Amino acid sequence: MPGTATVALFAILAACAREPSQSEATTSTDEANGSLKVITVNYPLAYFAERILGDHGSVSFPAPADVDPAYWSPPPDVISEYQQADLILLNGAGYAAWVANATLPRSRLVDTTSAVSDQLIPISSSVTHTHGPTGDHSHGGTAFTTWLDLNIAVAQARAVLEAFVRARPQYEADFRGAFAALEAELREVHSGLEKISEQLVNQPVLFSHPVYQYFERRYNLRGFAVHWEPDEVPEEALWRQLQSVLQQHPAKIMIWEAEPLEENRRRLLELGVESVVFAPGGNRPAEGGLLDLMREGIASLRSQ
Amino acid sequence: MNGILYLAWRYLAYNRWKTTILVGSIMLIIYLPVGLNVVVEQSGQHLNARAQATPLLVGAKGSPLELSLNSLYFSLDTPELTSYAEATAIIETGLAEAIPMYVRFKSRAQPIVATSFEYFGFRGLALASGRMPALLGECVLGAASAEALGVGVGDSVVSSPETAFDLAGVYPLKMEVVGVFEPNFTSDDNAVFVDIKTAWIIEGLGHGHQDLADPAATSAVLNRTDDNIVANASIVQFNEITEDNIDSFHFHGNLDSYPLTGVIAVPKDEKSGVILMGRYLDSDANKQIVRPRDVVEELLDTILTIQQFIVAAVFIVAVATVATASLVFLLSLRLRRREIDTIGKIGGGRWHVASMLLAEIVIVLVLGSALAAGLTALTWRYGSAVIESVVMS
Repeated sequence: MPGTATVALFAILAACAREPSQSEATTSTDEANGSLKVITVNYPLAYFAERILGDHGSVSFPAPADVDPAYWSPPPDVISEYQQADLILLNGAGYAAWVANATLPRSRLVDTTSAVSDQLIPISSSVTHTHGPTGDHSHGGTAFTTWLDLNIAVAQARAVLEAFVRARPQYEADFRGAFAALEAELREVHSGLEKISEQLVNQPVLFSHPVYQYFERRYNLRGFAVHWEPDEVPEEALWRQLQSVLQQHPAKIMIWEAEPLEENRRRLLELGVESVVFAPGGNRPAEGGLLDLMREGIASLRSQ
Repeated sequence: MNGILYLAWRYLAYNRWKTTILVGSIMLIIYLPVGLNVVVEQSGQHLNARAQATPLLVGAKGSPLELSLNSLYFSLDTPELTSYAEATAIIETGLAEAIPMYVRFKSRAQPIVATSFEYFGFRGLALASGRMPALLGECVLGAASAEALGVGVGDSVVSSPETAFDLAGVYPLKMEVVGVFEPNFTSDDNAVFVDIKTAWIIEGLGHGHQDLADPAATSAVLNRTDDNIVANASIVQFNEITEDNIDSFHFHGNLDSYPLTGVIAVPKDEKSGVILMGRYLDSDANKQIVRPRDVVEELLDTILTIQQFIVAAVFIVAVATVATASLVFLLSLRLRRREIDTIGKIGGGRWHVASMLLAEIVIVLVLGSALAAGLTALTWRYGSAVIESVVMS
């Protein structure tokens, strides 16, 4: 204690100088009354935010159109945009891994899947490794295309709503009204997908990419995911691999993230597999909104 | 009159060593209590200002003083460690905003202050150049820190090992300077600010390394099975976080268990603050909540007590000094008997002699007081900075 007292004495004398006046809270009254500045890590959240926020603020989703926001790493100047926002909407489930390595204001982060974390699907195929005294660990993750389960999508939209209400309680009635309209549309799409589910019951399907885990689980599909890109023709080895998969899993349709190359479509047809597009909508579509994309997907599936 | 002053001045100038000692003594007995009072009062004001701007501090049970000094003034005497879960718990109460603090490491003599983005807004720190930290491994410097380290935006600083003999410890981390704050004349000026996760990497709790599935890492692999790879100590770990390797950085386990030195809690309002304090006071857990202004007031009371002792000692010394000075004057009268007789013989009366001796005393007192006033002014202006440089060195 005498040592501490000495340090204290010197620290006081050494460290003190003019102290500027500081606010006790980071959110000023002006900010609390102003419009809300929202930024998101993917398009579905931007869509939900735009629908719920209405005219009470602005929503930004800065990922370029040609990237997958799940794997995109924004440059520092874009991270600065995130830092300046009033609310940062995160998808959770390990989506946008850059968030873990970025300096973001924790009080403004909104994990939209935290309320449904028990429904997230872990990816269990990761290899663990060991070095040093800290024991085994793996860099495995969680399936992150959560909004393809429309029930989770509603939960995410509700998380957005609650964050908006906390930030701007004076607009609560407007927010809740807009959310109710959005929820109704999400439920309608959900019903459409349930009908597809009945249509595809016990029918094996292929997914062009392992991003449909929630879709598969919610709508009881018997899926098998390959790792194909719609704008690339797979190597011959992958076609042979697919043929052997089809022997165990005789799918008649493959669900693509985007319109596949004509050659892919033709060669799949030769194998008896129809190509159908059901875009997850992680990034902003050229036309329409998230629900338009889903309705188009439902129409494609229904036509099979 | 001018003649009397001239004679007094010439006498003092001729006996310059005696005069210097007398002036110095007078200066010191005036300056010591006044200067000390200035330093204590000034420091007290500044200390109070920073403490009052920090509503609540939460940390592990231990010395409230160490917790406050570490979190407010970045003293490197590390208090008992708490965990990141404490910050999460405070946020989850909905009563306050939580700003985690981890002040344990340094870069040369500058403290590395690991915190969250909210800290910069909370302290009102404004950038003089560059930008705020955006990614792991980036830092922003306080104005004095940039000057002391001789670096600016685009340069790098390196964390210092905790001990010189930590042979098995982690490598120092090279961090890119992405911004420099404007001076705000507080401890913040001396800090190197990083994200809390960057401090955990400095500590070795998080790291980036070669991809063990990469053929280039074969020599570092001790054992490989289908679902596990065991590496040896030769695995290349990165000591700088770059665009190319940032994705390889990872943390083991639950971040909530990672260490903090304290958490600044900023309640939404006074009532929330009282409720939050009540929850900690009711809790038996190994944690404490303190109001920094109470801790600082207690500290200032201690300092004032010490100051009173010093002033009492100075008073005794002052009495002794005045007595000695009086003795010097009285003895000098005997030594100057011939000089005084000479003044009488050339027409100077007793009044002239007394005036001359009085003028000598007044000149000594005025010079001593003027020097004391000058020193007090310097203390007012530079006292804190001088003491700081002494402590830092």
